[in-house]
Amino acid sequence: MVVPILLGITFLTFMLVRIGDQNPVAMLGGPMADEVTFAVIEKELGLDKPFFVQFGIYLGNLVQGDLGESWQSSERVADEIRNRLPASLELLVFSVLLGALVGVPVGLRSAQRPNGLFDQVSRFVSLFGFSVPTYWIALMSIFVFFFLLRWAPPPMGRLDIASFPPPDLTGSYFIDSVLTGNWTTAWSALGQLTLPVILFSIIVAAPIIKHTRAISLEVLASDYVRYARAQGLRPRTVRRVALRNAITPILTFIGTELTGLLAAVSLLELIFAWGGLGQWGLNAILLGDFAAVQGYVLVLAVFSVAIFIVLDLLVLLLEPRATLRP
Amino acid sequence: MTDTSIDRSAAVGFTTSGRILGIARRSPTFAIGFAIVTAFAFVAIFADLISPYGAIETFSRQVLQPPGVEFFFGADGNGMDVFSRVMYGARYAFGIAVPAATLMLLIGVPLGLVAGYKGGVLDEVVLRIMDVLRSFPSIVLALAVVSATGQSLINVILVIGFLDAPIFARLVRSEVLALRSSGFIESAVAAGNPTWRILFVHLMPNAIRGSTAMIAVRMAWAVRISATLAFIGVGIQAPTPEWGAMIRQGAEFVISGEWWVALFPGAALVGIVLGFNLLGDGLQDLLDPRRKATGK
Repeated sequence: MVVPILLGITFLTFMLVRIGDQNPVAMLGGPMADEVTFAVIEKELGLDKPFFVQFGIYLGNLVQGDLGESWQSSERVADEIRNRLPASLELLVFSVLLGALVGVPVGLRSAQRPNGLFDQVSRFVSLFGFSVPTYWIALMSIFVFFFLLRWAPPPMGRLDIASFPPPDLTGSYFIDSVLTGNWTTAWSALGQLTLPVILFSIIVAAPIIKHTRAISLEVLASDYVRYARAQGLRPRTVRRVALRNAITPILTFIGTELTGLLAAVSLLELIFAWGGLGQWGLNAILLGDFAAVQGYVLVLAVFSVAIFIVLDLLVLLLEPRATLRP
Repeated sequence: MTDTSIDRSAAVGFTTSGRILGIARRSPTFAIGFAIVTAFAFVAIFADLISPYGAIETFSRQVLQPPGVEFFFGADGNGMDVFSRVMYGARYAFGIAVPAATLMLLIGVPLGLVAGYKGGVLDEVVLRIMDVLRSFPSIVLALAVVSATGQSLINVILVIGFLDAPIFARLVRSEVLALRSSGFIESAVAAGNPTWRILFVHLMPNAIRGSTAMIAVRMAWAVRISATLAFIGVGIQAPTPEWGAMIRQGAEFVISGEWWVALFPGAALVGIVLGFNLLGDGLQDLLDPRRKATGK
């Protein structure tokens, strides 16, 4: 199941980037180049071969771990991805942790008393989170927290200019500098992280609140919870019993949400000049950098596949009813 | 308390205004969403008449003038009135959402009907295509397609329509699967109706019900994604008064303190998307009695 989907995505991307207006040959050659130069560049990039031959060569290289070369920076795409992925993951992981830590309890609490005041407010907040464009709220908070209040540092990457990146252990500047005991760098990294993480966690939390509420309502309406209540168990115990069955669908939902978020974070990266994978991928798409687009989309696809595998394993651990054979 | 409100809404349900009140009482969410969307539609239709200035009318001496009596929402970097431009922007929001939603339905519904009714290879192919499209982050796909196929309003609409069609195909397909073996379809077949008639006359009205709420939700998405594309710089370009493109123009001024260029188009965008989402949520409540029974 995994291989055909990955293959389908690779092929679709391969086709999409090539049918477009953007022509790397013309961009690389520049306005003064003549036909001969164009032909040479075309040959260098391998674009003179038929479409399916190109795809075959790409797949062959891919199997050997070679993702090709970005014609924009002349760097190997695999290296670029390795360098940039940690930055995006840092943003993503912290935001999802924060979003889930806030969203799940809020959703559970809303389900306690549907249509109560708490529920009404949290539903509205979650709808707002659904509707607000990431980039706009980012711009507005930069204005408020950087320009007006001077609480946040300038939105210029992952560290202030005076700090140097810590040694590479986990890829997160904050965690790495804490681990190596470099407190000034850790402080700077934390300062740069705070605003984007809070903003993104709002976007992350909105669907979590909505789905946790729905799942929890469904569980609370089920027969075994009614039975537990009829037995006269304390409300706290009932809630614990109910939660046990709600936790798997909630986790599954957060996982499915995660798969789309690695792409969604790119807009935030763009505005905060984060220098992560998303920003790089967006630029690659805009410039028609074939190999880079291809690599970016492939990383996104592999990421979602990996998430689904981890999820399946987690469900297997948490859910006594689940077995390896469906 | 709930009982009395239902009784009263039933009692006033004879007149048109009474019926509207009844719906508003059964789902305030729907009423608020409907009001917001109608207000934006009003602005979009009458933008010519109610906006104080033209959409691309420039006042070169008032560049970046803050909001005030002359320009309610201030003036942007080209000296254009942000208030008027936000009003004209509503036209682009509807001008993208409505055709895109129509396209989604025109492609998705027949596909879902045929796939669900006929089954077999066609069903399998439709399902697999939907799988691939679903595992693709929509923003990346939209971005790639629009930047590949050329930047115009028509292309943005086409891309959004095609990307969302599978959602409706899936919804309709699952409804058809449930309806396929029911009595009225069997009797329609027995009466000798041709397949197209069974699909579009007998099945479609029943199968499309579940998609109604989804249309509003996907329209919200269409407005959002088209604005996002314009913000990134793909699709609709400045000085077209499209909200995403306006936020893009305003982005460079935010850091130097001219907030109004980006704030107002963004607020309008949040408003209309919120309106469509509320509308969808409310429709779901009104049309799906099951969900009402379990939770709400």
